[in-house]
Amino acid sequence: MKVTLTQENLARALNTVSRVANSRTTLPILSNILIKTEDGLLVLAATNLEVAITEKIPAKIEREGATIAPAKLITEFITNLPKTNLTINASDNKITITAGNYKSVVNTITADEFPALPEPKNVGLIKIPATILKKAVAGTILVASSDTTRPILTGVYLHTTDGDLYMAATDGYRLAEKKVLSLTKEINTIIPASALSDVVRILSDETKEVIMSFSDDQVSFVIGDVTVTSRLIDGNFIDYRQLIPTKTDVVATLDRNEFIRITKISELFARESAGSITLKVDASSSTLSMHSITSELGENNSIVEATIKGSGAITLNSKFLLDALNQIDGENVKLQFSGKLAPALLTADGDDTYKHIIMPVKS
Amino acid sequence: MEKSQEEVLWQTILGEIELSMSHATFATWFKPTELLSIQGQNLRVLVNNFFAKNQFEKKFDEQIKQILRKNGFSSPTIEYIIKGKRATKEETVSEKTSSSPTEPSTTKNPTGLNPKYRFDNFIVGACNDLAHAASQAAAARPGTKYNPIFIYGGPGLGKTHLIQAIGNEILATKPDWRVLYATAETFGNEFIDYVRFKKNRDFGKKYRDVDVLIIDDIQFIAGKKSTQEEFFNTFNTLHQADKQIVLTSDKPPAEIPGLADRLRGRFQMGMAIDVSLPDYETRSAILEAKAAALGAHLPTELIEFLADQIRTNIRELEGALNQILAYSEMRREEPTIELAQGLLGDIKNSRPKHITARQIIDKTASYFDLQISELCSPARDRYITEPRQMAMYLLRSEIKMSFPKIAHELGRKDHTTAIHSVEKIEREIKINARMREQISDLRERLYV
Repeated sequence: MKVTLTQENLARALNTVSRVANSRTTLPILSNILIKTEDGLLVLAATNLEVAITEKIPAKIEREGATIAPAKLITEFITNLPKTNLTINASDNKITITAGNYKSVVNTITADEFPALPEPKNVGLIKIPATILKKAVAGTILVASSDTTRPILTGVYLHTTDGDLYMAATDGYRLAEKKVLSLTKEINTIIPASALSDVVRILSDETKEVIMSFSDDQVSFVIGDVTVTSRLIDGNFIDYRQLIPTKTDVVATLDRNEFIRITKISELFARESAGSITLKVDASSSTLSMHSITSELGENNSIVEATIKGSGAITLNSKFLLDALNQIDGENVKLQFSGKLAPALLTADGDDTYKHIIMPVKS
Repeated sequence: MEKSQEEVLWQTILGEIELSMSHATFATWFKPTELLSIQGQNLRVLVNNFFAKNQFEKKFDEQIKQILRKNGFSSPTIEYIIKGKRATKEETVSEKTSSSPTEPSTTKNPTGLNPKYRFDNFIVGACNDLAHAASQAAAARPGTKYNPIFIYGGPGLGKTHLIQAIGNEILATKPDWRVLYATAETFGNEFIDYVRFKKNRDFGKKYRDVDVLIIDDIQFIAGKKSTQEEFFNTFNTLHQADKQIVLTSDKPPAEIPGLADRLRGRFQMGMAIDVSLPDYETRSAILEAKAAALGAHLPTELIEFLADQIRTNIRELEGALNQILAYSEMRREEPTIELAQGLLGDIKNSRPKHITARQIIDKTASYFDLQISELCSPARDRYITEPRQMAMYLLRSEIKMSFPKIAHELGRKDHTTAIHSVEKIEREIKINARMREQISDLRERLYV
């Protein structure tokens, strides 16, 4: 194989695909990037056998072919080169890369061993504006579990209900649901959170939309010239909607920034209690107060004004609360709960397309 | 243990393949595989995920086939199947039909029926046994026994379940029958579309060209003149042809306001039966059946607790159960009473924690437009004695008050009066639909 292309294109593509190349797998070839010519373009690909990323970039092809190169080495080498044209000349066991005065020879093995790349299936196509996808993924992967003994919770659940597409995730302690867009197709699937996080990291400011396509066992995201393909998680997701409170005894609406500020302050005094802070909502004084205590350091009591319906108290984890507040858009946040054990619901005031639920700490 | 034919063959193949590639490659791709079945020349191989499936189809297929040819297969074909997919798929389907607590989706199914509503999963209790028996009779001999069947009662008491079960049962025994289920609202909307926008040209045909017409919540057409007119004509066409008609409503025909008299008459031609609030035993049975259908096991105390706490309707009961099951699945905690108490806080708090004797007497008096003093007076007029007896019955059934106290609360001196009254109402509600309904209305008012 012999190709010539710009350093910029190659460096960008290498950085995109190399994130899934992993040197810690049982299969050493997976720490490599596949570089091959296809239909007049240069294709770069890497996979960890859960997710595969490929990118097609323009190149002047002098001799067709394929080769593999160690992901880390080649990505760093190309990234550090000056912006110039470079030539890749690959033979059976050597890749020679020349760019002006720079020349490297990298040892390689035959590309035949590289796993077959999945082909996106053009079924169940959905177009999602990049900004919407980014927001929905950020809001949900945050609460996806990392506990691999419960595989379904390590994914984000995509489903359509009454003509709308929703994304939801939970780790057993909190739960988030985002209404993504209206959709007539029926979807009911679980995508690994890690794959979604790969997808949003690839999105640039110029990306307008992402095209998703599904088949029984795989999902593909087409982002311009990049395709991310992932396995799906097998199983049935938890009937999580049962846990979203609909009617609560207490409703407090308050300024989001104020809420974040007092939570951060309270958190300082909640280290000993593993982040437990107690929120008291008082209708008669129209305030929400937060209390946290650490026997060595002391304690804190912060009060903020709020619009209140019903009085009550609940103990929440401060990190979970901050995570939720950071994901909620809008000037004012609505906190709703009933009793000490029932889940608390956080939404933006006047917009419940994003619902964040936190299970209280038993106190 | 002796090895199966599949295991032996697969081991032969793996043994040969292992020699041809690096250990890592073999361990990654071949270790997790299994030969599922051999059917003639066709082999089915279980692989890890779609990456593996892809890899086998593109890279290893030919190599495996070569070895197979050496082992007596002349033209082998191999199907690669992803692990876990087959089993869970069937599961997904069956789960869906049983677990969805939402209203049936009527969009795709031409009959409008939801197959999850069947007689065999309908829990029968004193509150609905008559309606259940009549529905079964109608399903067994549609169009001949009771026509129309008119089932009425409050929300979430199983009316929709019963009437859809009639439809599903008829379809099960007579698959070529045309059964149509629709809500009265759908009927009304489609009629308006038809008249105003000239859409749904086959509107008349859709509702008249059927063997069984099931209309839910017929009270929706009340007060709508032309919709009622259209329904009246539809009704007559079907009834004259001895086609079974099944209707539900929140009230008996006589009490639906704004219903044209001729329709009222038609609705009373067959059999009008009520479903009322389920009693404690029925609520427990419903919970147990529902939990079993979801494959969950609930401790008896929890079932008793829920059946005791939630008295208003079955939908709320099932909602609470679903909520507890979802929570315990998510947290991997055993469902307990404490958990239920914590989660259902809102349900309990939204109604008085303790119903007092005063509340029962108040509500009964106001329900019957009586003064409390009248209810507690010595008067023996029938319009007062009956409500008084019902109040006694409720004092006994809802707050387990002692008979002497009941007598005292209602200004009686002798507690045998209370015993007599409670027993009388207990007897009466088994045979008297009007009284059964009044009692369940009163109960609802107490708890809402």
